[in-house]
Amino acid sequence: MIGSVWGMARNDLAVWRRSPAAIAGALLPALGMAVLVAVLTVSVGQQPVALVVQGTGPLAKHMADILREDEDAYLLEEMTEPQAEQAFAVQKVAAIIVVPEDFDQRVEATDGAVDLYLNNVDIDLSDDLRRSVTRSVAQFDAPQLSLTGELRNIASGMLLPNPYRVNVAEHDLRDTNVSFLQYQVIPIIVLIIITVGMLGTALLTARDFERGTAKLLVLSPARRSTLVMGRLLGGVVLTLMLVAPLIAAGYLTHYIERCEAGARLWVMLLLSAPCGWMLPPVSWTHALALIALLIAVTAMTVGFGTLLGVALRDVPLVTMSGLNVAAFLFFLGGGFTTVAFLPPWLQTLSRFVPTSYAIEGLRQALFYPDLTGFGRDLSVLTGCAVASVALASLALSRAWSRR
Amino acid sequence: MSAGRVFRASAALEASALVAHRGFVGLTALAAVSFLVLVSLFGLTGAYAPVALIDRDHGPMAKAFVESLGRAHHSFALRNVTEREAQAALGTGRLVGVLTIPEGFSKAIASGHTVPIEIQIDNVNVDMTEDVQRALPAAIVDFGHRQQFPGTTTRMVEHDVQAHDTGYIPYLVVSGLALDAMVIAGVLGAMATAREWERKTVTLLRLSPASRAIVLAGKLSVSAAVAFVALMLAVVVIVAVYGVIPIAPGTTVLVLGACAILFTALGAGLGALLKRTLAAVPFVFGLAMPFYVVSGSLEPIRFDGETIWRVAHLSPVYYAVGALEWAFHGLYVTPEPIYVDLLVLVGLASVAIVVTLGQLATGASR
Repeated sequence: MIGSVWGMARNDLAVWRRSPAAIAGALLPALGMAVLVAVLTVSVGQQPVALVVQGTGPLAKHMADILREDEDAYLLEEMTEPQAEQAFAVQKVAAIIVVPEDFDQRVEATDGAVDLYLNNVDIDLSDDLRRSVTRSVAQFDAPQLSLTGELRNIASGMLLPNPYRVNVAEHDLRDTNVSFLQYQVIPIIVLIIITVGMLGTALLTARDFERGTAKLLVLSPARRSTLVMGRLLGGVVLTLMLVAPLIAAGYLTHYIERCEAGARLWVMLLLSAPCGWMLPPVSWTHALALIALLIAVTAMTVGFGTLLGVALRDVPLVTMSGLNVAAFLFFLGGGFTTVAFLPPWLQTLSRFVPTSYAIEGLRQALFYPDLTGFGRDLSVLTGCAVASVALASLALSRAWSRR
Repeated sequence: MSAGRVFRASAALEASALVAHRGFVGLTALAAVSFLVLVSLFGLTGAYAPVALIDRDHGPMAKAFVESLGRAHHSFALRNVTEREAQAALGTGRLVGVLTIPEGFSKAIASGHTVPIEIQIDNVNVDMTEDVQRALPAAIVDFGHRQQFPGTTTRMVEHDVQAHDTGYIPYLVVSGLALDAMVIAGVLGAMATAREWERKTVTLLRLSPASRAIVLAGKLSVSAAVAFVALMLAVVVIVAVYGVIPIAPGTTVLVLGACAILFTALGAGLGALLKRTLAAVPFVFGLAMPFYVVSGSLEPIRFDGETIWRVAHLSPVYYAVGALEWAFHGLYVTPEPIYVDLLVLVGLASVAIVVTLGQLATGASR
């Protein structure tokens, strides 16, 4: 029986190998999402800003230095006023910061001002710049409000007074920040599992009905349950064969030297995907948790895919339905966002989307020191996997018996 | 046979094919509306970092400081929870941070002392971490100015280009319309031409005395019309659900119509090159997300650097976003004038039509 199951699985793998369009169809949306996240990683955080320093006094110079030093917030380019206006007009910069000519005199009179000319095209970009410039200007009177100040206030144990009378003492939960791309690696892996596992199995199943090969399968001497198990095993093996190298690459990228910051922009862009893929090392318990969650979500999507294929039995319809379902499972599962940060009603809705447990569980296993919630996440995924595989087996067996 | 009759016959044939595939067409329209809704989820988490507030003081200064946190440029979604709940939520990624106002805060501030407020940050997400790190000084500055503490010498004076900020979700959903135009019109256009190879009718088309250009125009006019109707459905969702009203409704409809026609032509070119719906549909979906994000959908793309901006010119969605943000919100998000955006789209569509006609005339039969 094992031989027959494996034979059926191998047959499906061979069909896949001969269907580059289907493989591309299953992989392209996930790869598209990976590119999207890579581009977002480059664009998140810093905004291009022109700095015009008109004042020549020591205070104006000091203000300009504060702005120049905040490299986390701005991609600052110093310009003359006409150059800045030109750059602003053609959207080379999102804002112009002007330290005016009379800055020193006005500061002496406690009426110093730094002008921010802002292209407030949308609120996200505008607020990012407002926060950054406010902090820089505040640093002029209260150096403790710089990022370094926020992080050192606690470490140094010293409390320096400032005119705003409030300081920030920041404790970070982890040694290093996780980049946006690293944070999004998990949803992308889950999206690949959804598209390959679900869409791939659904296409194979629908194809059997369209081409009449389902009849041939039923006429074979193998038992129907064996064929059904083979179909499901084929989907699981194929999905894991595609996902495992990606996860392995996540660890191999630690050895790419060029991934370090400071490389040329085009090198960074070229390597942004493999570099960002860099997964944090985990303990063996967390590694086992990762593997268990990946297998559970793979089995679940293969079951869903088989059900979809049996229900629709039409390749174009399966393709479009599969892409729709994949989009919902990905986005509502927290693929592009963190579910816990969404409004309460969306969080409730997301609880009914099984991929939310996969993404949450995998993030917990990769980025957090403990496995809080892992039991619940694995239970839900395993339950969905068992239910979908059982239903898929039943549906496929019944559909084939009617051919 | 007159050109008009060929056009009408071809359009009728295409319409009947779409009716036969109404499930597929319906799912394409559903995908478009879904994309619109789902990309707006990104906007929901673009601001308002969830932060637990532990107020151990409860005094008037603490109250004033909390109000300043609320004014810090849409930065914090403050949650009043117990310390234990806050720590549990922080440890499982449900909060960005826990902010603690210490006991005696009001008294110390009132007597002129500087008080440290502690914030624990889950720095797993660099974007949110930086937002919080920048927002706290903004709140502190607001607090200091409102309390009129002496000793501050400098302030920021803001001069905005636009009369008002456009909300992030209103901005995102309009650029989502450009994505919808690409997906719906692209898929329908691709299906219209790929079907000729799938059903092997391309040979009949070649043998027919009728003009291939007119036959193609008839087919694509129906695809574009269906795409336009689906796009208008998305507009209804934007107006009714998101409450985003276009400042120039007539222009918006015209630009959407143009996008429907132009993306249908681009889809037709893709369908003629790939010759299979199964290959073309995932291709359009696969391109949709990278095209979306590289096309100024989240902010004017030139702000992300010259390299990305140059790459963006390869994406037709870039030009569509430029035209639609202008029509809907009156925003200029591309350095190029709007008429240039539209002309480039017309140029791309013309190239796609030429490619399609070339494939229909001489391309491989399958």
